[in-house]
Amino acid sequence: MSVSWRKDSVYRDGSLNYGRLALYAIMVFVAIVWGAPFIWMFVTSIKPDTEVFSYPPTWWPDEPTLEFYTRLFESFPMMQWFRNSLIVATITTVLTLATNIMAAYPLARMRFRGRRILLLIILSTFLLPGEILLVPLFLGMIKFKLANTYFSIAVPAAANAFGVFLMTQFFLTIPVELEEAARLDGCSRFGLLWRIFIPLSKPVIATVAIFTFVRSWNDFFWPLIISNTDATRTVPVGLAVFVGRGLSMRFGVIMASAAAATIPAVIFFLLLQRYFVRGISTTGLQG
Amino acid sequence: MSRPAPPKDKRATSPWISIKNDLIAYAFMAPYLFLFVVFLLLPAIVGVYASFTKWGIIGQPKWVGLKNYNKLINSGLFIESLQNTLYFVVLAAIPLIVLGLLLALLVNQKLRGRNIARAIVFLPHVVSVAAVGIIFQWILERSSGLLNYYLGLLGVNPPINWLGDPDSAMPAIAITTIWWTVNGNMIIYLAGLQDIPEDLYEAARIDGAGRWQELRYVTIPMLMPVNAFVIPLTVIACWRVFGQVFVMTRGGPQGSTFTVAQFIYETAFVNFNMGLASAAGVILMLITLSFTIFQLRAMKVI
Repeated sequence: MSVSWRKDSVYRDGSLNYGRLALYAIMVFVAIVWGAPFIWMFVTSIKPDTEVFSYPPTWWPDEPTLEFYTRLFESFPMMQWFRNSLIVATITTVLTLATNIMAAYPLARMRFRGRRILLLIILSTFLLPGEILLVPLFLGMIKFKLANTYFSIAVPAAANAFGVFLMTQFFLTIPVELEEAARLDGCSRFGLLWRIFIPLSKPVIATVAIFTFVRSWNDFFWPLIISNTDATRTVPVGLAVFVGRGLSMRFGVIMASAAAATIPAVIFFLLLQRYFVRGISTTGLQG
Repeated sequence: MSRPAPPKDKRATSPWISIKNDLIAYAFMAPYLFLFVVFLLLPAIVGVYASFTKWGIIGQPKWVGLKNYNKLINSGLFIESLQNTLYFVVLAAIPLIVLGLLLALLVNQKLRGRNIARAIVFLPHVVSVAAVGIIFQWILERSSGLLNYYLGLLGVNPPINWLGDPDSAMPAIAITTIWWTVNGNMIIYLAGLQDIPEDLYEAARIDGAGRWQELRYVTIPMLMPVNAFVIPLTVIACWRVFGQVFVMTRGGPQGSTFTVAQFIYETAFVNFNMGLASAAGVILMLITLSFTIFQLRAMKVI
């Protein structure tokens, strides 16, 4: 045969395949619906005041300007909020990784009393709506004078059980023979974890790290409650409070704030895309 | 297993060694268990306890029995927040599940550029709710918003006052939520689709099944285990809706988007009525828990 038939082509036997064509059309439509809000946000943020409300809407300004970004960073402590978000997300991620890896090892590989009941209790918290925790956590933080600290924003998030679950599942797949061989060589339990389990689990560790980081970076309800000063306020809370301050007509500044918060996240995602896909598909883990 | 049983290790049966083994296991878990107990388990228990007390921001809790629950049942505001949230769950959860599956089916086709489409749909996942709320306030704006402009081209006139009209505000929040979070379900369904063995489709084709029959008799039944966790997680997330509402409408207009989480926020952290807010939290928990159990029973998972 001289004509090779490609499965992804819209042509079949030399004529148009309407079913395929329709699928391509739907796919393009989907990409536009999900992509356009990002572009619209960015375009609005570089439009001068005179063009923001132009009708019909224009997808590129006649005179693009970065004025609103300058104004944003001058009027609001954006850099401080970014720094706070970075510190909070880093604390949560490091604490989550360190504690979850340690906890997953015996849960996956050791027989000990209380293992089943412990797993059951830990997993059942997936079904617990977090709202029930807010009041006690808040009162506790107030009582111990920890409100408005990085500690109070970052540490409770590390109690989340998804990472433990994911790592336990992964550790179960590591061949027992490897562990037995190392034990015969006199390796301690901690040595096993450090020299065998951690190196073999790099992909799952990366997945947990990235998810924890993004979830912490975007967390909203708890940081909103527990921090009310710019010294510890994170980016999402800053944005929400800032929009709430009634700048309703300065769309340029508001869109610049949304874009400034979104662009780093988008770059982060594009660099690490495959870990996100793996993380969600193996656990149903959501940000 | 067919492997021969390992020779009995004398040490493993000695009670002293087995206690040592338990101690090692708990030592490994201690750091996580500390976080788990202090920041998750204990707060959950205290949260339930607090729902039976009168508790302000300072001072000691005072036991009041079921008084908070009684107050909630008779509170028009709370009942309204339950109704609004239920309405949101219906508006958002069904499309999140159905559209999640449809998008997964789409990007599972052998189409050029499907990885790019998948990445674009996934992108909102990494954006914070504050930014999403801001973007959609602008897109849904009545006179200069993007959505009304394109709906106008399709003949929708007069323009919809999305966030300003009590009838359309909740649908607007639902649209925003779907755009923001449908990608999670898409990826989970996509993984489910890729786990379906190819021979099942081949067998169906040999039996003369068309595309629709393949979907109906192979794909959908094989996705049942996936549904068993997509559906409860989606419904629970919808019952907890907060950030979108906080940023976009603050519960308005005329309380039409005032949700249970919004009620908890205002009761606890604006009015500092901790006991009443905890009771609302317990009710939210009972609703999501009973739904999950009911659904898993209906699907014969438990």
